[in-house]
Amino acid sequence: MGARQVAGREMTTAQDTSIGSILVADCGTVLTKVVLLDRVGGRYRFVARGETPTTAEYPWGDVTAGVRHAAEQISAVTGREFFKASGDLIVSDTSDERTDVFAATASASEPLRVVLGGLVRDLSVASAERAAAGTYSLVSAILASDGRGGLTEEERVRTINKAAPDVICIAGGLENGAVRPVLELVDTAALACSLIDEKARPRILYAGNSELRQQVVEIVKGRAELRVASNVRPTLTEENLLNAQEELNDLYGQQKMQQLAGMDTLTSWSSVPVTPTARAFSRVMQYLWHQGDPSKGVMGVDLGASNTTIAAVFGGHPFLTVSSNMGIAFGGEKLLQTHGAEIITRWMPEVMEESEVHGLLVNKEMRPISIPQDRRELWLEQAVAREAMRTALETARPGWQPGIAQPHPHLMPLCDTIVVSGGALTNTPRPGQAALMVLDALQPIGVTTLVLDKYGLVPALGNVAAVKPVAAVEALDSGCFVNLATVVSPVGRPRSGSIVLKVKVKYDDGSAFGVEVQHGHLEVLPLPPGQQAELELHPRYQFDIGLGPGRGGKRRVSGGLVGLIIDARGRPLRLPSERRQRLMQMQRWLWDVGG
Amino acid sequence: MYYPTEIQVTPLVNVRRERILPTPGETLVRLGDRVEPMQVVARANVPGEFRVVSVARSLGIPASQLKKYLRVKVGEEVRRGQVVAQKGLSDPVKSPLDGVLTASGSGRVLIETRPTPFELRAYMQGTVTNVLEGHAVVIETTGALVQGTWGAGRESVGVLKRLVKSPDKPLRSKDIDPSCHGAIIIGGAGLDDGVLERAQELQVRGIVIGGLSSEMIDAAERVPFPIVVTEGIGLIPMSGPVFQLLATHEGREASISGRIKPRWGVVRPEIIIPMPAESLPPDQSQPGMPLTVGARVRVVRAPYLGRAGIVVSIADHAYRIETDARVRGAEIDLGQGKPIFAPLANLEILT
Repeated sequence: MGARQVAGREMTTAQDTSIGSILVADCGTVLTKVVLLDRVGGRYRFVARGETPTTAEYPWGDVTAGVRHAAEQISAVTGREFFKASGDLIVSDTSDERTDVFAATASASEPLRVVLGGLVRDLSVASAERAAAGTYSLVSAILASDGRGGLTEEERVRTINKAAPDVICIAGGLENGAVRPVLELVDTAALACSLIDEKARPRILYAGNSELRQQVVEIVKGRAELRVASNVRPTLTEENLLNAQEELNDLYGQQKMQQLAGMDTLTSWSSVPVTPTARAFSRVMQYLWHQGDPSKGVMGVDLGASNTTIAAVFGGHPFLTVSSNMGIAFGGEKLLQTHGAEIITRWMPEVMEESEVHGLLVNKEMRPISIPQDRRELWLEQAVAREAMRTALETARPGWQPGIAQPHPHLMPLCDTIVVSGGALTNTPRPGQAALMVLDALQPIGVTTLVLDKYGLVPALGNVAAVKPVAAVEALDSGCFVNLATVVSPVGRPRSGSIVLKVKVKYDDGSAFGVEVQHGHLEVLPLPPGQQAELELHPRYQFDIGLGPGRGGKRRVSGGLVGLIIDARGRPLRLPSERRQRLMQMQRWLWDVGG
Repeated sequence: MYYPTEIQVTPLVNVRRERILPTPGETLVRLGDRVEPMQVVARANVPGEFRVVSVARSLGIPASQLKKYLRVKVGEEVRRGQVVAQKGLSDPVKSPLDGVLTASGSGRVLIETRPTPFELRAYMQGTVTNVLEGHAVVIETTGALVQGTWGAGRESVGVLKRLVKSPDKPLRSKDIDPSCHGAIIIGGAGLDDGVLERAQELQVRGIVIGGLSSEMIDAAERVPFPIVVTEGIGLIPMSGPVFQLLATHEGREASISGRIKPRWGVVRPEIIIPMPAESLPPDQSQPGMPLTVGARVRVVRAPYLGRAGIVVSIADHAYRIETDARVRGAEIDLGQGKPIFAPLANLEILT
């Protein structure tokens, strides 16, 4: 009964026979995935999965129809039935065709609409923004008391009314700090609430100076429902988001997830509460961190149709950021409107004019489930994917506390593993395209393993972990993940055209070869999935591969679909400013990775 | 089994639309009433304008003394320019608008204007089948329904008028003549630069086209009538079944809506053409069915965007497509030679 300690949790093992098969569903904005896990040879294994359009809308108007549709695909493969003719889930009967446990995650609901208020845009408001990003939320307005957000009270009330939020989150005031401006902000929020019809009235979440709680209660009394959380910015240098994130997540669950058509049935089937997909995703990253090098972090990126989730773990602490409205389908047009077409087209290996970009992005929003059937449209979607991940990372990074995993403050922290999830990344025609998108968008440094969540199982397994941790662990270990590539990204100050890294690869069959990698180049060395090799890395000119400036070393690495990538293009990655040169560069890099 | 998105391009169907007040009010029709599109079926008073007046700051008094200097009580009406508060001989604080003083506290008062009446129209000819007293009315009708892909503007009613001979022809401004006044005009693949201006001059009630170039999106969102784009953004011909259905009903009165919401309570732009139910056989199609051989579908991505056809086979394993991706798909007979292969994800069932 080999019990293991994972993320502080004591787990039972597969020998515990009380739970057999586990059916897990993830209801996304456009796709619903269902996964069957079962004991095979005494261990939990991934058996089959189904994927189908989400059915929250006409003509079904019930997310559970999508779960049944996806389960039908599993039935076709396994011959097992999961639902009765009446549509009810078959649970724990004596036949072989049973599901012992059903668990579900969901991200199909509308995000929580949030108005943020605080005293200083870069301090309390920024912290409140990161707290809101811990769940599916959309910040519809920001009220800051410092110069840039200095609105009159009436303008603030109008802003709140126009934003029609579900919740007004007020931060501000360090502990034992400001009083009056915080209370004024609360009073304005309460006034705005009082002008809104009771049924649509937002809640107020107070996460500011904790000394003022009693006064806040008095001000809000009778005008809005108040919730109180710990101060998100207790000191200038300290951030405390957890409590506010929990409150917002709770509100999302109550106000949004529960409104999802069919959620009642989904909940009744489920052995554990239906979990927001991003939370379940984050849970798996925590498990992976415990499996790897504790001096480094683990990161997961889940690129969905509506949202991009970045879940990172450093020093055992999870950092979850959901960028709502920044997905592969519902993100491109927003980027175009706010930053112009070039922010997207700069990542493309072909010319595409703004009008064409605009048309294709609008069409994608209208048909979010559709996939590119033409290469130009594929390049565009992959360019949007890069920008969506990059934008989400920009939101996430300021909230991280990577500690020793951050040798270069302006660059990404060292990550042992980066898990890549979401159809636009896992269903690329060639694996090199997925690797290049991730390298361009996230720009990891040092030595990192890119892992593909090929079957979209990570959120599901995160939820399984709540019911049967050993099943999640064993399923993860049994091939749910596919290694995409091992990447070595040296960081340093380049000399033009200089050799920055010498690499010697020793394969397990005794063969070996060496390469010298020039700055600016992307080299792909063969190392297929399932094989391992020993790398000898000798950086030059004080370049850092995660071991300190100029320090080399040996490292045993695993192969992947792409192989071993030496990304010596520099950090931060700089693209040529001249369009023709940039196109040629993008074509070259795509060629290099076999894309 | 694959269950694609369904789009209604239906010659005869029961159409049910819920008409909801933006704020609680009064419903004006009863169960079973016959209603006309422009008939007001419910009304409400929506909150009006408001002003927050900082009395304490203007008078230079502590917020706690506000009550002492107020000349108007909460709930009382005020006229624009009327003194709201005054301290001794100092400049008084006057109301910036006609309204009611609805709240006071924290050194300021809130003055709200009288609510604005809002009238909710039926939108389509039909019968009232449900009344949620004070909140909403459900209207049902029988007729043809065409759902679009993209839209702009709100709702309107007019007579359908086709201005192009085939679905691949663009709508040209020179084709819009005074006979288009009050009509919903139907074009094909896109429209020329002068169409929107000309259509405004002649007060058309709506435009239906297959595709719209992305450069015209902003202009389309500003015109006072609804626009329904049936296939998508780009110079895309209207798909055959849509064009034929609309052409069949030329001269009939239709309701048109350009409203769109692509997720979280999807709303599609649409054209509804009410018809006497007994004149046509009842619609047999069942919504929410899996894709089967024989189904009428439309392809929603290039290179076949907007092309409609019949499913001739559904592949039981993945095939490689032009991007090199391996996907499951179906063979579609577009009525022009050899069937084409399209990914399942790129198919919509036309019901």
